[in-house]
Amino acid sequence: MKKNELVAVILFLLATVGTVLGILAFEKIRGAQFFNVELAARSPLNGNWYPRKITLPYGKEVRIRIRNIETVSHGFALPDFDVSAREIKAGEVVVVKFLADKKGTFPFFCTVWCSNEHMQMSGELIVE
Amino acid sequence: MTGDRGGGSGFSKKLSITAILFIVYSLWFVANSASAEERLIEVKAKKFVYTPNIIKVHKGDTVKIRLISEDVHHGFYIDGYGIKTSAHPGQEGSLKFTADKTGRFSIRCSVTCGALHPYMIGHLYVTPNNLWLWGLLSVIGLGCISFIAASRKKQQDEKLKLFGIIPLEWRFPLTKFKPVRALLKSRWFPLLPIIFNLFVFVIILMAGFVGGLSSGNYNFGVMIVWILWWVLLMMFMVPLIGRFWCMMCPFPLIGDWIQRGKLLTVGRAKSWGMGKRWPNKWRNLWPLVILFWVSTWFSGFFTVKPFATFLLLGTIILLAIIVALFYEKRTFCLFVCPVSGFQGLYSNFSLFGVRSRDQEVCKKHAPKTCFVGNEKGYGCPWMEQPYDMNRNTYCGLCFECFKTCPHDNMDLVIRPFGQDLFAERKRTDDIFNRRSTDEAYKALTMVGIFLSFFVAFQGPFGHFKDMVTAKTFGGYIHYLLESFAIDFLIIPGSMFLFVYLSKLASKSKEVKLKDIFVNFSYCFIPVGIAIWAAFSLGIILPNGSYLLHIISDPFAWGWNLFGTAKFPWTPVFTGVMPYLQVIVTLIGLVFALDFGYKFSQQTYKNVDEAKRGWIPILIYFVLVHIFFIKLFVG
Repeated sequence: MKKNELVAVILFLLATVGTVLGILAFEKIRGAQFFNVELAARSPLNGNWYPRKITLPYGKEVRIRIRNIETVSHGFALPDFDVSAREIKAGEVVVVKFLADKKGTFPFFCTVWCSNEHMQMSGELIVE
Repeated sequence: MTGDRGGGSGFSKKLSITAILFIVYSLWFVANSASAEERLIEVKAKKFVYTPNIIKVHKGDTVKIRLISEDVHHGFYIDGYGIKTSAHPGQEGSLKFTADKTGRFSIRCSVTCGALHPYMIGHLYVTPNNLWLWGLLSVIGLGCISFIAASRKKQQDEKLKLFGIIPLEWRFPLTKFKPVRALLKSRWFPLLPIIFNLFVFVIILMAGFVGGLSSGNYNFGVMIVWILWWVLLMMFMVPLIGRFWCMMCPFPLIGDWIQRGKLLTVGRAKSWGMGKRWPNKWRNLWPLVILFWVSTWFSGFFTVKPFATFLLLGTIILLAIIVALFYEKRTFCLFVCPVSGFQGLYSNFSLFGVRSRDQEVCKKHAPKTCFVGNEKGYGCPWMEQPYDMNRNTYCGLCFECFKTCPHDNMDLVIRPFGQDLFAERKRTDDIFNRRSTDEAYKALTMVGIFLSFFVAFQGPFGHFKDMVTAKTFGGYIHYLLESFAIDFLIIPGSMFLFVYLSKLASKSKEVKLKDIFVNFSYCFIPVGIAIWAAFSLGIILPNGSYLLHIISDPFAWGWNLFGTAKFPWTPVFTGVMPYLQVIVTLIGLVFALDFGYKFSQQTYKNVDEAKRGWIPILIYFVLVHIFFIKLFVG
């Protein structure tokens, strides 16, 4: 009887705490393989790109995971490195890759008409 | 007297045949009066409405659609035709097709455009709309059949039979099978399904939390709860197995654990909670009638926004724990959980029930361990008296009585649909009323809530969607008032009018109006189940494919667990969907008409009164169903 109760409690903990920890651990391990910079796409009225300024060291390979955390389509373009993602639909996740082989401040934009403030949806990438 | 009646039914038969012939003729006439032409239609799309929202063309027309977006990237998908286009602002979409299929087709947005995207809908009518005419005809036909069947009755039915075929008291004991009995007697059941659901709900809560205000159609929480769970609940669990969900619902688990001190085994008899008794005045469905209605105030948020789903579920879980601390046993499930009410009421219609096998064994057995509990299990957590139970409303299928019964006298039975609706009062403790206003109002408000859900989530009216999602405060208040008026005034009021006519027609002096009202309201149980099932078809068939995405990428982090994360939005069976919706609605009517005459017999004192009193109610349900068919396909 006591053993069964213990098994039930363990199952309960696995289903709750175990699930949460498992998910977070999986994301951490998986994320490390796929990207090293995170970027969330939001319309200007909802807070704009997050973060708006990305600072990177010179000479590294950069992989940016862009998550559209909104309900409308966005796009991404970083013209100075010839990088773009044509349309990132709501809920979609895109990873863009490039080599940070230029120093300076470079703008990136949204490329899909996402709201009336679409033109203000931009951020800066700083390579130093 | 009876001779006269026989003549009357012959005349009514001729009358109804003439009516049917007339409708068939007009249908044929309408079908042949159109000629093909080319139509160019300019459609403007903005969140979350098409202008025009209703497009009408004739069969054979060549239709060209010019889609113009006024705000963000929108799509345009036509149910049944399975073709689509999309438009960015300043970049038109176009579509050309021959309207070779007739009927009403929903136009859906195919590009996620905002919170309410899955419910951005327009209507395309390709006339002649034969399905609507056939649906109308079937409703009237079924009404005529029911009328003829009822007017032929010469005496009260001795035994109630479903459709005059299956005796309503028929039962098949599933515990005949040894594995079933062993399963139901095991303490691991239903704990294991509960723990599995706990696991699923932990993911749902987490997805709701991290999902924030992102699009609901790509969120695990929103999709599993409002697309999968709700649909399974309304289409399968409730109509077939009753409170099957309550059996495996994880929400009361923590409260149970606190009260009992043990998760699986039998712990202390005295609860750690305060164990208060829920006030007698509220020991009925009224709290749930109100609470479910109140929770629908927020339907425009939690069905589309992940964080709102998180808040709603979090509130319910917290409430479950708090109520368990103050009140005894499963008070939360019985009188607080918003979705408990309709599950309980509708489960009286369902195929399954927990019943005692041999009443004699129970009568001799003292103390009643199923009620007080013993070392094998707890006394009924739902505060039912399993030894004497003949109705499902308050039985949560927790199967504790199978564990506590020393005589193996509990049974899980399969029985004909609706058996419990005719169950007689027999208990001395009459706190659980039967056929009473609380249940009647539950049945009626479920129809009203269906109406607002249908218009909001499957209707083409953008302004109503704006009201439900509180785009403006005034609009939101307007929606709440409208919802109150429909649920508590218009539907009960229209019912009452026909109930009054029923009393007049019956010429009965003794029967109280309230009793007629309550008894006939129970017809709305099969009707409610049917229209909710039809509504669910309109949710799952167009949007079910999102589920493939969210199981692979539950948190929108770019995961691809099962390789289905890139699966595009693919509506399925949208061509046959309207037919299925009509069929399901008609099935509801068939049950309502069959039950209705039986209720009439139970309401009025003799067969003549019952026959006369039934006619206005029959007309009412025919009219109501014409309205439903119109709503779904007309």
